[in-house]
Amino acid sequence: MLLTSTLILAAENGGAGGIDLFPDTSELVMGLVAFLLLAAFMTKFAVPKLMETLEARAEVVRSSQEQAQAMLQEAEAAKRSYDAEIGDAKGEANRIIEEARATAEQLKAEVLQRAEAEAAQIVERAQADIAGERERVVQDLRAQVGSISVELAARIVERELDQATHEGLVDEYIQRLSSQN
Amino acid sequence: MINVLAAAEWGGEFDGVLDDINALFDFPFIFEFTIAGETYGINRTIIIAWIMMLVVGVVFFLGTRKADIVPGKLQAFIELIVDFNAGIAHDIIGDKGKKFVPILTTFFCAIFVLNLAKITPFMMMPPTGRIAWPLFLAGIAWLIYVGVGIQQQGFLGYFKGVAFPSGVPWPLYIILTPIEIISTLVLRPATLAIRLFANMVAGHILVVITLVTPWIFLPSPAGWPIGVFTVIAGPLVFGFELFIIGLQAYIFSMLTAVYIDSSMEAH
Repeated sequence: MLLTSTLILAAENGGAGGIDLFPDTSELVMGLVAFLLLAAFMTKFAVPKLMETLEARAEVVRSSQEQAQAMLQEAEAAKRSYDAEIGDAKGEANRIIEEARATAEQLKAEVLQRAEAEAAQIVERAQADIAGERERVVQDLRAQVGSISVELAARIVERELDQATHEGLVDEYIQRLSSQN
Repeated sequence: MINVLAAAEWGGEFDGVLDDINALFDFPFIFEFTIAGETYGINRTIIIAWIMMLVVGVVFFLGTRKADIVPGKLQAFIELIVDFNAGIAHDIIGDKGKKFVPILTTFFCAIFVLNLAKITPFMMMPPTGRIAWPLFLAGIAWLIYVGVGIQQQGFLGYFKGVAFPSGVPWPLYIILTPIEIISTLVLRPATLAIRLFANMVAGHILVVITLVTPWIFLPSPAGWPIGVFTVIAGPLVFGFELFIIGLQAYIFSMLTAVYIDSSMEAH
């Protein structure tokens, strides 16, 4: 208690002797020598060396950054070029596909046309064949009817025809016709 | 006086041992020697100062010995300090401030550790609480900024710039010239020294009171709450002192940079 009040009083009043405001020569000289030695070491060696290192680091960072920037630009240019090439390739692929589609359409149309023509030709030929055959049959029939008529007339002339004979002749004729066909 | 410090640090009797505040600061010589007829001595404060200067030197030596682009932990720590001072130099002086980074760093580190001895166990005494240290530190700062002024503007040019600031009507010089001369050449170093000194003296007294009070009040039947309060307040006081220690080192370096900058060009 006593000491604390003494301390506080001393601090307030500067104490009995007061705080020294005049430097002690030994402290001044010894302190100065120590500081100057430290200052010499710090200003000549330690700090300049460290600052050189800091600058070297800054330089390394700067050059790495520039290098990275250059590489980035290069990569971007390469990407642009690849994009352009990919675009070209896609266009080319589309063109080829379109061409193929057009060719296929054309071929399809040609084949269809040819098939239709052939079918029409076949139908026409078949119709012609049918017509010819029909004509031939009609001709044949006509000839046969003629000859049968002549033969029938001759027979009629050759004998006296009664109703029963007449009917018999006609039946015979028809039977002959049926057997012929 | 030794009893007080011994008691403060390791316990003991206090009653009646301190009747002079100077006893907290002025330590007797441990041994004395004579150089050129002048007697010098080594005391506790000088030893503390030497140890602290050595610590800074060794830390910087170890940290910069193998300085590499990719720093180790110690180098990174030192770079932080140098970079901090480089920031002060650059912000205040500009590009020309680069060459003052080493001396500003020295000021900052030296003052910081000399102040730090105030709360360093087994030291508990800031050499900057003795007027000798602030005086020569401010003296060196004075030599630097006056030297820079003379180097940049010439001897006459600098002192003319100090005594007769430009842009002032000449009759005002009658008042302004003595003020400017005293302010630039006397008050600047004086305030540098006194600011640091006074802060450290006050801080040292505060630390001593903080440490001594519990020893006196805790055993007292009536005063023990005060003792408990001081025990709790102790870490806060030490934290506050650590802040002051750093702040004073920063202020000294920063003001030195400001004074150097003001010497670079005529006003």
